[in-house]
Amino acid sequence: MRFLFIGVIVSILISSSCTNDKQGASTAETSYIIDSIGLPEGLSGEVGAIEFLPDGRLAAAFLRGELMLYNPKTKDWKVFAEGLQEPLGMLVISESEFIVMQRPELTRIKDTDGDGHADLYETVTDEFGISGNYHEFNYGPIKDKEGNLVIGLNSASSGGGILEEVRGELDTITMNHKGQMFSPVPYRGWIMKLTPEGKLLPYASGFRSPNGLGFDDAGNLFVTENQGDWVATSALYHVQEGNFYGHPSGLIWKKSWNGEDPLMLPVEKLDSIRTKAAVLFPHGIIANSPTQPLVDNTGGKFGPFTGQLLVGEMNSERIVRVMLEEVDGALQGACTFFINGKGLRKGNNRLAFAPDGSLWVGQAEHGWAGAKGIQRIVFTGKQPMDLLDMNLTAKGFDLAFTQSLNAESAKNASNYKFRRYHYEYHKKYGSDQMEVKDIPVTDIKVSKDGKKVSLELESLEPGFVYELTLGGIQSEKGEPLENNLVCYTLNRLKPND
Amino acid sequence: MLITVHAKALPNAIGADPVIISIKAITGLQFDQVRFTVKPGATVKIVLTNSDDMSHNLLITQPGAREAVVDAALKLGDQGPKVGYVPDMPEVLWSIPLLDPGENQSITFTAPTKEGVYPYVCTYPGHGFVMFGAMYVTNNDKMPPLKDDLNIPSVRRNEGQGGNGGHAGHTGPAHPYEETPPFLYRTFIEDAGPAAIAVRLTDNLSYCWDAGSCRLRYAWQGDFLDMSVLWRGHKQAVAKVLGTVFYRDKSEYPLRVGRPGMIPDVQFKGYRLVERYPEFHYLINGIEVYELIKPNADGTGLLRTFRIPDANQSIWFVSGSDDGITYTSSTGNWTGNAVKIDPADAKQFTITMTKKEGGLL
Repeated sequence: MRFLFIGVIVSILISSSCTNDKQGASTAETSYIIDSIGLPEGLSGEVGAIEFLPDGRLAAAFLRGELMLYNPKTKDWKVFAEGLQEPLGMLVISESEFIVMQRPELTRIKDTDGDGHADLYETVTDEFGISGNYHEFNYGPIKDKEGNLVIGLNSASSGGGILEEVRGELDTITMNHKGQMFSPVPYRGWIMKLTPEGKLLPYASGFRSPNGLGFDDAGNLFVTENQGDWVATSALYHVQEGNFYGHPSGLIWKKSWNGEDPLMLPVEKLDSIRTKAAVLFPHGIIANSPTQPLVDNTGGKFGPFTGQLLVGEMNSERIVRVMLEEVDGALQGACTFFINGKGLRKGNNRLAFAPDGSLWVGQAEHGWAGAKGIQRIVFTGKQPMDLLDMNLTAKGFDLAFTQSLNAESAKNASNYKFRRYHYEYHKKYGSDQMEVKDIPVTDIKVSKDGKKVSLELESLEPGFVYELTLGGIQSEKGEPLENNLVCYTLNRLKPND
Repeated sequence: MLITVHAKALPNAIGADPVIISIKAITGLQFDQVRFTVKPGATVKIVLTNSDDMSHNLLITQPGAREAVVDAALKLGDQGPKVGYVPDMPEVLWSIPLLDPGENQSITFTAPTKEGVYPYVCTYPGHGFVMFGAMYVTNNDKMPPLKDDLNIPSVRRNEGQGGNGGHAGHTGPAHPYEETPPFLYRTFIEDAGPAAIAVRLTDNLSYCWDAGSCRLRYAWQGDFLDMSVLWRGHKQAVAKVLGTVFYRDKSEYPLRVGRPGMIPDVQFKGYRLVERYPEFHYLINGIEVYELIKPNADGTGLLRTFRIPDANQSIWFVSGSDDGITYTSSTGNWTGNAVKIDPADAKQFTITMTKKEGGLL
């Protein structure tokens, strides 16, 4: 076996190409460095899953079926298992045991004889349907605090059919609707929970293409969704048991369902029973194909964003950052860029933090826009000049920054441009921005330490995305903002105290 | 796919019957047709049908302008949807607007009088880098060989090419290691359920075992599988068997417990690799079964070793009839197509399957 190591280091130079800032910080200093991990020769580097082992090695599953182990110290790759079908998630149990989500089953893969190569493949569960439709990807597993595993089952695509033989009960009522994803077997379009006793239970419905599951530190379950039919723009859902999140087809597997075709229900009816996204990712602005949400649990090793969610994006050279808060009993919040370009490739499908606090990113394309390979993002210790948090207030928003701001730039009203719009829930693929309107900022207050700006807006209405473009705001030291765009999904207003 | 379209009408007659080019947007961010020829000045009608599950448009650009147009469409940002991701620039010659899944639309135009390669591309964000083709405006219908054509997506250049290492349809190594039999692929495969396992036993012998129905489905001689379409992704496909199937299980189910007439319930538990051969583990009516399949001595048939450690009733192995196979069993008595195995002998027994002379399906 012969391996090829590329060892490319792509450093990022801030403010070298995108600003003309003369008084800016030294261009040699940067907060995050991105480098690429060399892959062995012959490997098609389409990543379906990455996780770290307790001993610091990386486990990576690739879409042609390999599960490989990488030692970051020696840069050696080893084949641990092969022959898997489109593995798209994994849970590391130990250096010699993994639970891998592949197409046909959730599988426990073990090396029982200690030779470093898997020899035992045990079915953890196959109690879900598969029709053979190309789009029936399976995601997860992730483990909750009670020891349950959570997996996600993609709906089937109208761009393909089903096999003559399927696994599970077949119901074709949602098939053959033009351009509509469908659910031919149970529980396509659902999030499922596998109990420690091995029972696979339906947990939440209404998913089209949920290519990303994750928990935050508080144990809240988040699932991303891709724009398409019934998904006006890509989204992050806070998923709770029993809820329906918008794509109708899978409703036919609901225990109490009366057998009617959910795709024929009035849209108002569906709209009234769905739970809205905690955060919308405006299409063409933030993300077109979001993937795994991963909480920054590095305790500062990776920079100032501890506790926030980072979300991969397939469609562009980007990782998105999500800032959440509880308003009127529900989670909602804002999304902005974490990394946008700067040597990051497209296809950012899977994320994992290494023990040293660096973020590893596995890329895939699989016939969509994307890329292949693995990259690593390392925090240099230099605090980025960025928006740290965005919180709704009674009359506007509080913006927290990672650094004290230059007072003059912070007080300049022309540096805060708000637009708001909403998206239409309907069966059509995606939605235009509706009722787009500029919203003037009526008051600006800057905190004493210069790190917080309180904005009042002329109006605040629930049901809209508030998109804020930040202008030439600088830190006290004159550094420009790393990212200038943030979108807050305002589902609920602050209740009156 | 090499498709050449010849103009039937006089090429220079404006308003003449158009040359009709039907192009489908298909899954995998591709146009089904990636190139065609027309004569300079010909009347051309392009019919775009969107058979994919995503929205697509089709823009024809000036020679060499594809990437610039794709970039310009991307830069439209949130203004893109309003104009269907068609940037307003002279490099865009003609366009078919954004079509939803299932829609179709056509455009008729007079081909440029200047010979050249005029790209067509979908400029929906993210698509333009992979979803394009080339209109060759040429007097002599000439196009380069498909595999050398840099005007079409790279994944389309190998279409119709031969295999390598038992796989067809892609070049270069398939994995970061040599594939030495035995090895297996979990994959969608023809003539099986969706939870299937394809096993390469030797360089000339393979079988398909179905993890949904817990049974051997068929075996074949020759090359292994064409995985090319599956590996490219984003498309309805099954792995294609590249050899000759010499055996298909035509029985209702090969194993019975207690009563020969009763088809058991099955449950797939996984497999263990024994000297790299998978030994399948499953339940029939709740009883554990292990099945290990190896090639016979001369590689023309299968040795199936069953282990049923906790058998407390008789086990029957039932073959299909007229399946072109001669069956022998290491133990038990045959009655017709069935052999009865005593519980004690069921702890381990072997069924040998060899192809009858001329027995090909």
